[in-house]
Amino acid sequence: MADLIFDPEEHGELFSAYLDGQLTPSEVAIVCELLDGSEEAIEEFRYLRSTRRALRLLPEFEVPAALLPDGHLGDRLSAYLDGELVSLEHRRVTKHLVDCADCRAELQELDRARIAVRSLPGVETTMTGEIPATPVPRRRRRIIAGAIGASAAAALLVGLAVGGGDEPVFVLDDLNARHVARASAEPGFAFLPSTIEVAAP
Amino acid sequence: MTDESTPTWEDVAHRYGRKIYNFAYRLTGNPDDAADLVQETLLRVRKGLSSYQPGSFEGWLWRITRNAFLDGIRRKKRRPESALPEGDHHSLGSSPSPDEVLSSIRLSDDVQSALLKLPYEFREAVVLCDVVGLSYDEIAEATDVPVGTVRSRIHRGRKLLRGMLTWPI
Repeated sequence: MADLIFDPEEHGELFSAYLDGQLTPSEVAIVCELLDGSEEAIEEFRYLRSTRRALRLLPEFEVPAALLPDGHLGDRLSAYLDGELVSLEHRRVTKHLVDCADCRAELQELDRARIAVRSLPGVETTMTGEIPATPVPRRRRRIIAGAIGASAAAALLVGLAVGGGDEPVFVLDDLNARHVARASAEPGFAFLPSTIEVAAP
Repeated sequence: MTDESTPTWEDVAHRYGRKIYNFAYRLTGNPDDAADLVQETLLRVRKGLSSYQPGSFEGWLWRITRNAFLDGIRRKKRRPESALPEGDHHSLGSSPSPDEVLSSIRLSDDVQSALLKLPYEFREAVVLCDVVGLSYDEIAEATDVPVGTVRSRIHRGRKLLRGMLTWPI
């Protein structure tokens, strides 16, 4: 290392990367060695440092507000209601809701719409997945959870054990296929329970 | 489903809109081009987030930004009536101009003018490093070149800049 002679072409790049904190420890050692041994190296180092500083002191402009979204929660509100936000996002949304009356009002409206959709009469399913024409009375059903859009339903394959022991396992994919077909034909029919409703004995 | 490492596009807009705007401003010296780039980038981010694979989000975002910028340049080359202007556009920004910052504004004008004279690859590397604040690894991912090339471009860009700047150290 004692024989290291400073060459601006060869070593200048090390100085730039050193200023940016992008060198390995062995490269840092080379830089230190060069700076110890040469006035020319020190001059080059200062020269690069001042250029870098000038670039970093360039004033930062504000982005015009019209280019950004209004900062409200938008489609995250529905995901929030459906419990589809992971913890970090959930915390952000909750924090925004505390401060934003507009989003709170929108959340209430969405929740009312969501409840209305979920209150639609369900359908009785037979062991073969047949759907009878008569809706099941509301009081006979006991599980309602989650709602998903028709596009997501296409990927759904949910198995549910009804009761326990030797009772048969119900597979939803047949029902789901029918739902997707109907949802394609009828835009309003776009929801399917993600947990199947089971008629009480 | 939303993932902790995958922000929504609104988050991207608020977190990175300013950086994207400044990136384009420093590359073009032009507030209109900077505004166009913010809009175009956010549009592409909105489309691309659904297929984003969690990884280096910054690398992904700046690759999109850079490609949007280069596509804009190509479009302008086909329609040369709106050539990239050089020089001072600070008066169009929202910055106040009290006496005490006049000298720094003149200084930044010099730096901006010098930046616009750099070859594109050097200008881009220097702006991503010194204006946007990316690491060499992130710049390499965004610009699709090896880290060693990034290091060389940043250094050569700064060397050229210093040669063009007339103010004392």
